[in-house]
Amino acid sequence: MAEFPFEISPMFEGERVRKEGMFVELGGPKSLGLELVRAKPMDEIVDDKVTIVGPDIKEMEEGKTYPWAMIFNIGGELVEPDLESVVERRVHDFINYCQGIMHLNQRYDVWMRVSKDTAAKLDSFEPFGKAVMMLFKTELPFIEKMQVTFYTDQAEVEKQMVEAKEIFKARDARTKDLHDEDVDVFYGCTLCQSFAPTNVCVVSPDRVSLCGAINWFDGRAAAKVDPEGPQFSIDKGELLDAKTGEYSGVNDIAKKLSSGEFDKIKLHSFFDSPHTSCGCFEVVGFYIPEVDGIGWVNREYQGMAPNGLGFSTMAGQTGGGKQIVGFLGIGVNYFYSPKFIQADGGWNRVVWLPSMLKEKIAETIPDDIKDKIATENDATDIESLKAFLQEKNHPVVATWAAAEEEEEEEEEEEEEAEEVAVAAAPMMMPAAGFQMPAMASMPMMSAGKAGGIKITFKKAKISIDRMVISEKK
Amino acid sequence: MGYSVTKVIAITGKGGTGKTAVAALLIRSLSKKGKFLLAVDADADTNLPETLGCEDVKTIGDAKEYLQAEITKPRPDNPDMNKEAVLKSKVYEIIEEMPGYDLLVMGRPEGSGCYCYVNNLLRGIMDKLITNYEVVIIDAEAGLEHFSRKIIRDIDDLIVVTDASRRGFRTAERIHELVDELDSNVGRIHVIANKVTDTNSEKLVKLAEDLKLNMIGMIPLDPKIEEMDIKGVPLFEIPDDSVAAVEIESIVKKLGF
Repeated sequence: MAEFPFEISPMFEGERVRKEGMFVELGGPKSLGLELVRAKPMDEIVDDKVTIVGPDIKEMEEGKTYPWAMIFNIGGELVEPDLESVVERRVHDFINYCQGIMHLNQRYDVWMRVSKDTAAKLDSFEPFGKAVMMLFKTELPFIEKMQVTFYTDQAEVEKQMVEAKEIFKARDARTKDLHDEDVDVFYGCTLCQSFAPTNVCVVSPDRVSLCGAINWFDGRAAAKVDPEGPQFSIDKGELLDAKTGEYSGVNDIAKKLSSGEFDKIKLHSFFDSPHTSCGCFEVVGFYIPEVDGIGWVNREYQGMAPNGLGFSTMAGQTGGGKQIVGFLGIGVNYFYSPKFIQADGGWNRVVWLPSMLKEKIAETIPDDIKDKIATENDATDIESLKAFLQEKNHPVVATWAAAEEEEEEEEEEEEEAEEVAVAAAPMMMPAAGFQMPAMASMPMMSAGKAGGIKITFKKAKISIDRMVISEKK
Repeated sequence: MGYSVTKVIAITGKGGTGKTAVAALLIRSLSKKGKFLLAVDADADTNLPETLGCEDVKTIGDAKEYLQAEITKPRPDNPDMNKEAVLKSKVYEIIEEMPGYDLLVMGRPEGSGCYCYVNNLLRGIMDKLITNYEVVIIDAEAGLEHFSRKIIRDIDDLIVVTDASRRGFRTAERIHELVDELDSNVGRIHVIANKVTDTNSEKLVKLAEDLKLNMIGMIPLDPKIEEMDIKGVPLFEIPDDSVAAVEIESIVKKLGF
């Protein structure tokens, strides 16, 4: 790389150019800084061309801050607009590979500094532009042609900024419209495995990580930079069931990363093979068997849910990287997913939310159900919740009648059937040492309306050495 | 850029033993020698910035909260945001550029959410940032929280500051034990006795021997420090010939400078 006046190496990433050693500052907190990558037809690109609009580095005054915009045009047979953001992310890396040039932030917040040492070796920004484009074409070979324009003139930068913001807006709209079926790869994250050893966080376009911090795009970016790191790609494999969000690739990784503890994770299911829960989830969902509905409580909510438990108690029981049927940890953003627990009725199954959470996510709750979901202002226990749902005619109410009919039939048929039907969930039991995982095998948990018996315990303390359940011959 | 080997020195100890003063004196001595260094205030309870003559600094805690709020928005404006680049920008922005050295304040503890992801980004940023400096000096709280979170991974020299109190030494002993439990790599552990007087110096030496602690310095009780504190003069401006500053010079030598 002798052709460039400064050294180029990944080891310069993270280099800090201090004010004392700085020749000029470009963009940043005190000015305007922009970077943008556009896909263009091949014939519109003059390969390797650097254009400078406004003062070049030689015309700049030492110690000053200048506005800065850089627009890269890329072309190639495989280049398409969807790749713009992927390529744009690398601008940060490649500029930082250049010795004496510090690049920070992204998009319309770009902040750069050029060191005195490097500035002394530059007559123009041209070799800098050529160096960055060389890095792009070497590392991302699908870029066949590339050209760049640097803007340092205030009015020009402002103009580019306005146009770029429109482009980012349109790009974000496309991004938000990306769904599980549009991609071949999901991402996994094992950051939580230090305290939830069997947790397998699967991040798909329609499912944000449980902590809410990592979406599909973050997974993609991180896995590219460090494939051996905590975020990695998961080939989604074959679609086994669209409704529950079951993919063969996800099942494989669930098996592998949980050391065989689970063999299935269904991304959009609440009851059957749900996603594991780490402990850092933003919101926990809980099944309320008495109303056959699901309530959700967020970490910030200090009060009790209608089942008599607060967030921390439920989080304590749900966390640890297990599949706990009847509870589910999620990131707030999952409420916005069009596939939100779609295997189990989606929003029509939601019966309770803390008012602060309901307000926060109001825009995503379907209008026809919004008023039918109770908050702590409407219901604080099962009885008041039941009354509220009945009064509002919540969709779950329809299932109650059906369930009651079934129960009556059973009672008639099986006189010996001992049913202990009382009005509280097992998770209400204050009894210490209750084994949550045991609940996974309880029939009432796996099927709200699937028929069969329904057992509800109240203030019960159960210890069982051995239990045998067999089919009636 | 940078230094192929960056020496990381962490200073800790029980509150009130004067560890922040010792940190400030070390920073002063090394930066005067032309060592390019990063000073890190990793104890939310201390006032290293004020001791160095720097006020109203932003903190890593602020940067983390900013990113955490941004990325856990229910509907992020830009789902494809380069979070690493944004956090790095915030961190680089809050670094206070002092004459001859940089200052970074860790600041407030985390909020209630999950910071695994943000901390993981921060670790990567800190790893690279540290290579910009010849020396990093960290004023750390006795619980060594930032090390257990591995925000800063390796320490070459861990210095425990103690006064003549039995509790000061106990803390030193506990820190010794804590270090064994940490995943971080800690090179050597030393003890500096602070506020030493003619009457307690013998006792201090004996205590250190009993507890098998490696004492590398005894800083005399310096009336100059108290005087500066009352007047609100930053300790950074202490005269070279004050008794504390003289002893610091000998410690710096023992640390290999």
